[in-house]
Amino acid sequence: MIEIRQLHKHYDTAQGRVEVLKGIDLNVESGSITAVVGPSGAGKSTLSHCISLLEKPSSGQILVDGKDLSVLSGKALRAERRAIGTIFQNSALLRRMTVAENVALPLRNLGVIHHEMEHRVAELLARVGLADRANSYPGELSGGQRQRVGIARALALRPRLLLSDEATSGLDPESTAQILELLASLRTDLGLAIILITHEMDVVRHIADRVAQLDGGQIAEYGELRALVANPKSATGSKLLPLRPDLVPAGYDFALTVAYRGNHIDPSWISKLGSEHGATVALLGGSVEAHHEGTLGRVEIGVSGINKERVIEVLDGWGLHATAHSHALGSAAINYETRIEVKV
Amino acid sequence: MSLPTESSTVGTDTPWSELGSLMLPAYAETWAMVGIVMVLVIILGGTMGLALFNTDRRGIFPHAQSHATLSWIVNMGRSLPFLVLMAAIIPFTKWVTGTTIGIWAAVVPMTIAGIPFFARLVQNALNDLPKENLSVGLVTGGSPLQIIGATQIREALPALASAITLNTISMVEYSAIAGTIGAGGIGYLAVTYGYQRFDMNVMIATILALIVTVQIVQFLGDRIARALARP
Ligand SMILES: Nc1ncnc2c1ncn2[C@@H]1O[C@H](COP(=O)(O)OP(=O)(O)O)[C@@H](O)[C@H]1O
Ligand SMILES: [Mg+2]
Repeated sequence: MIEIRQLHKHYDTAQGRVEVLKGIDLNVESGSITAVVGPSGAGKSTLSHCISLLEKPSSGQILVDGKDLSVLSGKALRAERRAIGTIFQNSALLRRMTVAENVALPLRNLGVIHHEMEHRVAELLARVGLADRANSYPGELSGGQRQRVGIARALALRPRLLLSDEATSGLDPESTAQILELLASLRTDLGLAIILITHEMDVVRHIADRVAQLDGGQIAEYGELRALVANPKSATGSKLLPLRPDLVPAGYDFALTVAYRGNHIDPSWISKLGSEHGATVALLGGSVEAHHEGTLGRVEIGVSGINKERVIEVLDGWGLHATAHSHALGSAAINYETRIEVKV
Repeated sequence: MSLPTESSTVGTDTPWSELGSLMLPAYAETWAMVGIVMVLVIILGGTMGLALFNTDRRGIFPHAQSHATLSWIVNMGRSLPFLVLMAAIIPFTKWVTGTTIGIWAAVVPMTIAGIPFFARLVQNALNDLPKENLSVGLVTGGSPLQIIGATQIREALPALASAITLNTISMVEYSAIAGTIGAGGIGYLAVTYGYQRFDMNVMIATILALIVTVQIVQFLGDRIARALARP
């Protein structure tokens, strides 16, 4: 279990002090993936550098199984940092080393004896599906393969936490999918705690268990991915499952965002609102995603012929969570712009 | 090697048949000088280059003040033309070697000129490496020496080979300049025979030897750099 407590980080620059992280609290349990998302400049990379112990926090703690690693330096730091495996954005392999040598680097640095090292490297390369590329050089691999070597290197010292800062940005969709599948299997098979720092919501939606939304150096929203998506009021939830509504037709009284989850989603509730409660319902947009624990969905509907509180109550009775929009209907422009903004 | 004397006849060309016995020992001296200097320059200049890089922002021990001081010293060493440097440090050379002529007397100024030059070349080679290399060294648990070995020197080997090539060629050139103060080597031949005695044959042979030497050094250096590069 990795606990980040009240992490602060500032830089003193010529223009004065820049507060980049303003008290981050984050728990990452073993066997789970926590995604840290946020706009550019939110402090994601700074957080990543602090967690990978490349930068000292200004204050706060980074506890691995109760031990604060953020205060260590020198030899003690080198010994303890093996608890945290880091995956870099562009894989950052050493170009003059073979794949096997790259993976062996952490083992060599810690003085693991030769024959054990060979065995471990072979095991790691098999784990990431690159057993046959041991003697290749990074320059001979695709971006996705290089990133898998990077993951093997990060796993070499059997870390408790795997930290990935934008590991899939710049990869094609197929390689991204492979990397995500690999990370998801590491979570399950090795019980790793994984922190996934990314600006790509697609990545998060597919494998995250929890999501922390970082904004202006603070965690603006944090929770289980499923809970965030199921909460129609959650801004992070709408970014995770952005709706792509058609233009809102005039003549409806109000709009609702309805969130639901389950292993299969029965869409008959839309017609039931009409047949059993006399409402007129227009489906404005929707988004359904497969998640490893079941399906997640959000739809937006325009409603008339029933009052707002009543329809929310009815939906609640069916296990659907709904929230009404504050904006008026009949104004396609406003609605559309709101959606665009939400999709950033 | 025979030294020119007062009685030497001005303008007499050494016959081509005797050039070999005149040139070969001098050529060996040139390489002895360049060889000794390059060993010292690679060790001392290389260390200085590593220090320059590692005290800079991307280094293991960033320290603006140390970096600025080192950089200032290197610039100072680089700012004097070799001939001026050589003349200026004669007392120091004498103190170190006990003499002001001969191979060893040339080795001192050549080394002093070569160190800052090589230091900058090493610094540039390291600056061209990906900036994540330091982070990689740190997160994989490397000690400073392991980081320097694996992520700096080893990764920069092709560029370092090119730097050594460039530096060697400069040192061949400097050894010829050192010849003017009696350092020995083919530079000394060029001065004493070619310049003072108008011996055209020695002059031509010296020039050819220098041209061929530089071409061969560059050719070998390029080959080595290419062999060290990885896809
Ligand atoms: N070394 C530094 N000195 C000063 N400011 C910095 C430094 N590193 C990052 N920052 C500032 O911190 C903010 C967050 O940066 P970063 O962590 O890279 O954000 P993100 O990865 O979310 O885009 C930016 O405004 C950036 O200018
Ligand atoms: Mg960033």
